[in-house]
Amino acid sequence: MATAWAIFQGLLLESLPFLLLGVLIAGLARWLVPQGTWIERLPKNPVLAPITGALMGFALPACECGNVPVARRLLASGAPLGTAFGFLFAAPVLNPIVLASTWAAFPDQRWLLIARPLGAFLLAVLLSLLLTRLSETQLLERALLSERRMSQPLSNLGLLERSSGLIGAPLDTKAPATPKRVSLGMVLDQSSREFLDLLALLVLGCVIAALVQTWLPRSWLLAVGSAPTLSILALMVLAIVVSVCSSVDAFLALGFAAQVTPGALLAFLLLGPVVDLKLAGLFTVLLTPKAIAITATAASLGVLLIGQWVNLWQL
Amino acid sequence: MNRGVLLLLWGWIVIWSIYSGRLDLLLRGAFHSLVGASGVALILAGIVMFHRSIGRRERTPWTWFAGAVMALLVLAIPPNPSFSDLASTRPEGLPEPPDLAFVLPPEQRTLTEWVRLLRAQPDPDLVEGNPVNISGFVLKREGQPPQIARLTVRCCLADATPAGLPVAWPDDANPTTNAWLSIQGHMAVETRQGIRRAVVVPTTITDIPRPERPLEP
Repeated sequence: MATAWAIFQGLLLESLPFLLLGVLIAGLARWLVPQGTWIERLPKNPVLAPITGALMGFALPACECGNVPVARRLLASGAPLGTAFGFLFAAPVLNPIVLASTWAAFPDQRWLLIARPLGAFLLAVLLSLLLTRLSETQLLERALLSERRMSQPLSNLGLLERSSGLIGAPLDTKAPATPKRVSLGMVLDQSSREFLDLLALLVLGCVIAALVQTWLPRSWLLAVGSAPTLSILALMVLAIVVSVCSSVDAFLALGFAAQVTPGALLAFLLLGPVVDLKLAGLFTVLLTPKAIAITATAASLGVLLIGQWVNLWQL
Repeated sequence: MNRGVLLLLWGWIVIWSIYSGRLDLLLRGAFHSLVGASGVALILAGIVMFHRSIGRRERTPWTWFAGAVMALLVLAIPPNPSFSDLASTRPEGLPEPPDLAFVLPPEQRTLTEWVRLLRAQPDPDLVEGNPVNISGFVLKREGQPPQIARLTVRCCLADATPAGLPVAWPDDANPTTNAWLSIQGHMAVETRQGIRRAVVVPTTITDIPRPERPLEP
């Protein structure tokens, strides 16, 4: 138990700065850019939207803990769902810090430097296309949904999506006046609330990750390292269990890179930033349980297929 | 509960973790300044929020209470991991190139540098007779004799990777799991289960306290 307690503290203290960074970026974006001006210009096309979101990762470099508050802010501000999901799922890999750490860890495996961002990009587009088939009510967590509807003109919502009291109310189709910049005090107010909400969930995720890590010997997972499919599955489980940030997971992967198949190595680097135990808690501020289950299942299947294809090509 | 107080509490935990040396036990040194900066930012935000919330009443979600309880537990119960337990569940692996270990005189090599060297150059005859001056903790794996070992981390304790060296323990030695030892001696070659391998033959074994930064090689 003492070891699990120490792992929990290590995970928590390592992730906390990245979470704070994400909340700061989200808060700054809210303060510097008046709501509605740039959000409205984001493409709504089902394919272009996730691509735009994924590419935004270059401008807002943070690992997955930091990306959750930024993605939440995007959704709450009324950004197209595809853009926010593209950002949420791809930006933990498609950002300069993570690409540099992957290059530093694997300078001799150039295929990985292309395959990792490409795989993350494909996965983000796939998840985004899949999730946007659900209605907002089925998709988004209740508090986030209310926040998002407050930032959308009523005419953008379907009749069934409107609150009952609003049906029949005259539609305000007038363009809003020049958007006002929110005060710094208000940004601090919202950001501190967001940070404490997310921190509680991060704590929960770190507790689960530490307990599973202590009880599940990694040697069991790596014992199947040379089998093409089993190795991918084993490394996918390892990625979910270990729960380290995407900015450092490439260095962790170095420890077993020589013992596993190339597809399994790529699977580890692709799945961890999208699905892990630490993230499971954080995602509850964005998505409904149903949407989280769909994300986890689709991401796992997508990564398994990518890993299999890489093994066919590399082995 | 006041939001400012909660932010101050979390900021204090971070700063205290650095000040008390706990962080040396949990994270790689490269991340310490980043963690420290987040602690300072949380304390500043806590002071501002404390002033802003004076005289205001706000709803406190139960999740904040749960977070605060966990924060107090973190403050009250310092981390005290069993390095041996941690190492026994992990596969060994030190991927960095061994160039430095070849350059250094044998008596200046750390335990991890010895492990890297022996993996890169597995012929034990090349190091036979070399003087050894290392320190580490006693690692016991199931079904194996005790080793002298070190853990290295790339980010935090969650990814700790063990590196161990076999030791030809003297008959009167009774190495205790997790005890930190300093060993002087030389390298020898032994054959176990038909495999020739390098083994540390100690001349002196001294009990030492756990180093301040046990996760650095």
